[in-house]
Amino acid sequence: MIRRLLWLAGALVLALAAPVQAFAASEPKTDPTKEFLLEPWIEIPKIGPIDLSITKAVFYLILSTAILLVGTLLVVRHLRLHPKKLQAFVELVYDFSETQIGRASLPAKTYTTWFPYLATLFLFIWINNVISYLPLPVNTEHKIWGVIPSPSFYAATANLSVTLALTLVTFFATHYVGIQQNGTVPYFKSWIPPVSGAIKLLIVPLEILSQLLRLVSLSVRLFANMLAGHLLILMSVSLIIIIGNVFVAILSVPVGVFFYCFELVLVANLQAFIFALLSGIYIGVAAEPNH
Amino acid sequence: MPLEGNVNEAAQNLALGIGTAIGAIGPGIGVGYLIGKTIEGVSRQPEMRGELQGMMFLGLALTEAITFYALLMSFVAFFIGK
Repeated sequence: MIRRLLWLAGALVLALAAPVQAFAASEPKTDPTKEFLLEPWIEIPKIGPIDLSITKAVFYLILSTAILLVGTLLVVRHLRLHPKKLQAFVELVYDFSETQIGRASLPAKTYTTWFPYLATLFLFIWINNVISYLPLPVNTEHKIWGVIPSPSFYAATANLSVTLALTLVTFFATHYVGIQQNGTVPYFKSWIPPVSGAIKLLIVPLEILSQLLRLVSLSVRLFANMLAGHLLILMSVSLIIIIGNVFVAILSVPVGVFFYCFELVLVANLQAFIFALLSGIYIGVAAEPNH
Repeated sequence: MPLEGNVNEAAQNLALGIGTAIGAIGPGIGVGYLIGKTIEGVSRQPEMRGELQGMMFLGLALTEAITFYALLMSFVAFFIGK
């Protein structure tokens, strides 16, 4: 078994290293950070400062939404008592998001209202993270035979605008739930910790600051994880072209393959889970501040 | 002695390298503690394994994200300083 896997990994490395010799001589030299520049594919005129052009990131967002809608609708149309593969998988994902995210973070009275939001968040980010590791023909800068865009990868979640938008939804949802469940004054009063005198003056600004810093930490965590993961894989493969020596491939391609597996198996799933769980914890704490 | 050559570019390269390296020290220690303590906990109470693993992964993601904050700020220094 292990021997067969090793043969498979070796064959993968060789297959990836094969076209490198041709690339190594090419001019201009490649720059992996250019993969993260967004150029409009279909230009739409700006409305004020808002640019609605279809870019690579928008394409990935639409693709992930389409996968989610089609996949779940297919399952819901033909529900069976003895589930087949796809239904069993969707049920597994639902069960995971119910027990590990919903029940683990939300109190009972807000559960029915806010679990759908958390599950949607989890699935959306998860699908986005996973499809970002499939090589899709999205690199319009270098075209094969001048026609087909060359395969590359990009994640919509490796874009700060996307993660910040998701974080802002959570941020406003948190305070909406807090005010709705407790009333405006009691909710903001719950930010004041039960300490006496002058320490209050020190702790209350810190509390407000920590509420605002959630915006930064939640969005940057997902964004930086995905950006660094993609950049690491792209960098380790394009190191051959940057250095210009084919024999670098012996070292750098296995490193790239290793990080690819690591990112796809661990980081992509874990970050989606963490984002949804922390959103749930923030909403849950706002709903019942004194627990 | 005055510095010769492209000092700005050298400083940017140093910022990327040193910034990421220093930013990786703390989370490295943190992840080590985290996984070590989890193993300790599991070896004391093997029946808690599932619960502890769940918490470990949560802590793992929170801890290792700190590396990426450092990496991100290093990238800011590397690319935006140009």
